[in-house]
Amino acid sequence: MTAANGLALIVLAGLSAYAVLGGADFGAGLWELLASGPRKHAQRDLLDRAMGPVWEANHVWLIFVVIALFSGFPGAFAALSQHLLVPISLALLGIVLRGGAFAFRHYGAPYGGDPVKGTRTWGRVFAIASLLTPACFGVAGGQLLSGGDAWAPLPLLGGALAVLCCSYLAATYLAADAAGIGDAALANDFRIRAIITGIGAGGLAVVGLTLVPGPVPLVIVFASSASRVGSLMLLRWRRYTLARVAAATAAATVLWGWAAVLHPWVIVGGLKLSETAAPASTANVVFAVLAVGLAIVTPCYAWMLRVLRPRAMAE
Amino acid sequence: MLDNLTAAREQMALSLSFHIIFAVLGVGLPWLMLWARWQGLRKNDPLWTALARRWAKAGGILFAIGAVSGTVLSVEFGLLWPKFMERFGSALSLPFTLESFAFFLEAIFFGLYLYGWDRLPPKVHLACGVPVAIAGMASALFVTTANAWMNGPVGLVKDSSGKLVAAEPLGPFMAATTPPQIVHIGLAALMCTGLATSAVYAAAMLRNPAKRDGYHCRGLAAGAVLGLAAAPLQVIVGDWAARVVYAKQPAKFAAMEDVGHTQSGAPLHVGPFELPRMLSIMLKFDPNARIAGMDSIPAPDRPPAAIVHLSFDIMAGLGSALVALAVWGGWAAWRHRRHGAAHPTERRWLLRALACAGPVPFMALLAGWIVTEVGRQPWIVYRVMRTTEALTPRGGLYVYFYVTFAIYLTLSIALIAILRRIARGPTPRDEPPSDMPQPEPIAARQAVAA
Ligand code: HDD
Ligand code: HEM
Ligand code: HEM
Repeated sequence: MTAANGLALIVLAGLSAYAVLGGADFGAGLWELLASGPRKHAQRDLLDRAMGPVWEANHVWLIFVVIALFSGFPGAFAALSQHLLVPISLALLGIVLRGGAFAFRHYGAPYGGDPVKGTRTWGRVFAIASLLTPACFGVAGGQLLSGGDAWAPLPLLGGALAVLCCSYLAATYLAADAAGIGDAALANDFRIRAIITGIGAGGLAVVGLTLVPGPVPLVIVFASSASRVGSLMLLRWRRYTLARVAAATAAATVLWGWAAVLHPWVIVGGLKLSETAAPASTANVVFAVLAVGLAIVTPCYAWMLRVLRPRAMAE
Repeated sequence: MLDNLTAAREQMALSLSFHIIFAVLGVGLPWLMLWARWQGLRKNDPLWTALARRWAKAGGILFAIGAVSGTVLSVEFGLLWPKFMERFGSALSLPFTLESFAFFLEAIFFGLYLYGWDRLPPKVHLACGVPVAIAGMASALFVTTANAWMNGPVGLVKDSSGKLVAAEPLGPFMAATTPPQIVHIGLAALMCTGLATSAVYAAAMLRNPAKRDGYHCRGLAAGAVLGLAAAPLQVIVGDWAARVVYAKQPAKFAAMEDVGHTQSGAPLHVGPFELPRMLSIMLKFDPNARIAGMDSIPAPDRPPAAIVHLSFDIMAGLGSALVALAVWGGWAAWRHRRHGAAHPTERRWLLRALACAGPVPFMALLAGWIVTEVGRQPWIVYRVMRTTEALTPRGGLYVYFYVTFAIYLTLSIALIAILRRIARGPTPRDEPPSDMPQPEPIAARQAVAA
């Protein structure tokens, strides 16, 4: 394996981590928007408590991917930046508004009492911006496969699929968190939401299989279907912890399917990834630094996720 | 309507300036938080602990804005300057890769610090502050290393025809421009954080003299000591930076010091004044030394001199003014300690000066970046690639600029409203709960000192 292959795998691993961890933070936006029923406030409160401590660390995966990409494949980075100017700019817009709005919403009333004027509006902005970003990334992913512009079936499907996958992840994780703090009714709210979006995402993924320009390897199709169906069954049985894992696998395998179809291209029919790699001397160093860095960061990350899980006692 | 090149440059300048304000606070605030948390634990002092908590709240929101605005930057490099990233992305890979891990550690441990107050044992919680402080500082130094390399690139490998084929990954760390720039930015971050913090408490004390209590005095002291101690060092480092600029970037130097033509015994231009021979003396310690001027630079390679010179004067002027403030504050503290003079917070003029000094290092910071970035023009990588060669071929960039402007303006307004609310929260009084040891009130300490 050359350093360039290793770097490509690291980029894909970073993207998967971003999708599975950061994606859920974006998906929470839909549940903010659609919070309803007698537990409307509890739903919003839970997603605030679940996301608040971890979203920034989850977000760093995107920065990690960007940096690994331009370090390892500067030509690919330049080509993507030019080809995808519009969707990426809109995704950035969503990132800025989502992050800012979440912080404003979270700290709107730092000592209780009436929140600062505009806090409610920021809640709305948070929800809508959270949907904009995955939609744009999904469209961008579709554009790379179709090689054309955004107004085509494949990019549009990509956008919808990304939003549904993120919402599904968010609902599954939130159901698990609600169960973790012992609120069965709240867990059930998110469980129903997860089942609906999970079926939708699975359906779109199947449609996607027929639209993509090349075959998706059978292993990936199988793993994706098994984890998707498995996660839905686990949700049905209220086995939330396992459902969390299965849902994450289902989302990641969709991404791997996309990557497998894209390979060896950066933009299908345009540029090949191997042509854009950094010189071997750089690639070796970057690969080594990334590998060592990930080995240091991963345990810290896991510890953080464990310590900061929502607890029964609000702080 | 802006042309594409101008729009891209303004976009870069806007998003960097916005980011840097939060970034320097992200570098400095963790050190203050760490200090306050440590003092609170060590002395069992609830006032320090309350400060640490308050700063963590403000930090939480500042970090969020810093993180999203920083993300905009890393992606924007590609969106605006794809040719630059294509050729030099791998040259800059090492500092940026290391930076990404600094971000990870910072975000992870900041999350633990912020939300772990009641979940982690106090010592572990304090320890979580350490990686935040170190990683925050490291991220600033890594990104500035990348910038310093753009100012004085080294390690570029060319083939026999002179075409660029590769870049030494360690290049950015070996550039001569790197050491002064990273020390300078590190100190700038501490100055900005320290003086912004002390300004908040000085303003509160001016508005309401009853606020000269232990809580506000501690906050003021921590910020002022951090910010003002760095000020004299900063001038020395600035002088070092200027010497390196003269050696490595003669065009920037000529613009900075407004040296029109090469001459012996060059004067120093400061605002409307001209001090004869002073520049030669300062740079070479020789009143007759010959200094290269702008006329030694080919016309197409000259940066715009007026704005670079003005920005340099602003930075150096504000830096010197802060040294004067440091002397004043240090003198007041010394008089109080040694001679029992009034506590520094009793000096209204000193408080006024500290309150006004809050924005000053930020202005110097932005001015300094204008010197660096505009002074490097027309190059994006000095003497290797021109800014025009780096620009994206995509059109309509002005739309992005206007949208960015509107969004950042909105975020700033909302942010200020919330920070004011955070600052106005209840503060602990001097009398701690009876089961805690009593910290001496200021008056008692004054009596002992006298
Ligand atoms: C608190 C902020 C602050 C203060 C008080 C000063 N500076 Fe500064 N200066 C910066 C903040 C800064 C900066 C924003 O951090 C820069 C921009 C790029 C860099 O590396 O540092 C900078 C750049 C910068 C450069 C250009 C470096 C380059 O382009 O390679 C020079 C020559 C100086 N400074 C010199 C000075 C002098 C002589 C000062 C005092 C008398 C001074 N600075 C005070
Ligand atoms: C955060 C503080 C910074 C500020 C305020 C700042 C400011 C600016 C300004 C004013 C410009 C426009 C110059 C002109 O076109 O006349 C610019 C351009 C640019 N800066 Fe910076 N800069 C900062 C840091 C950095 C760093 C750390 C890097 C790289 C690692 C960087 C890379 C660039 C690039 C690539 C351009 C565009 C090309 C150019 O105009 O030369 N900047 N910046
Ligand atoms: C032009 C180049 C720059 C790029 C591409 C850049 C990129 C970024 C990114 C992506 C983040 C978010 C990290 C996170 O999510 O935690 C960030 C935060 C940060 N940046 Fe920058 N940055 C630049 C300039 C600077 C400069 C000049 C400084 C120097 C002071 C700096 C210091 C920081 C610090 C300390 C943070 C973390 C604290 C915070 O989030 O507020 N950056 N930057």
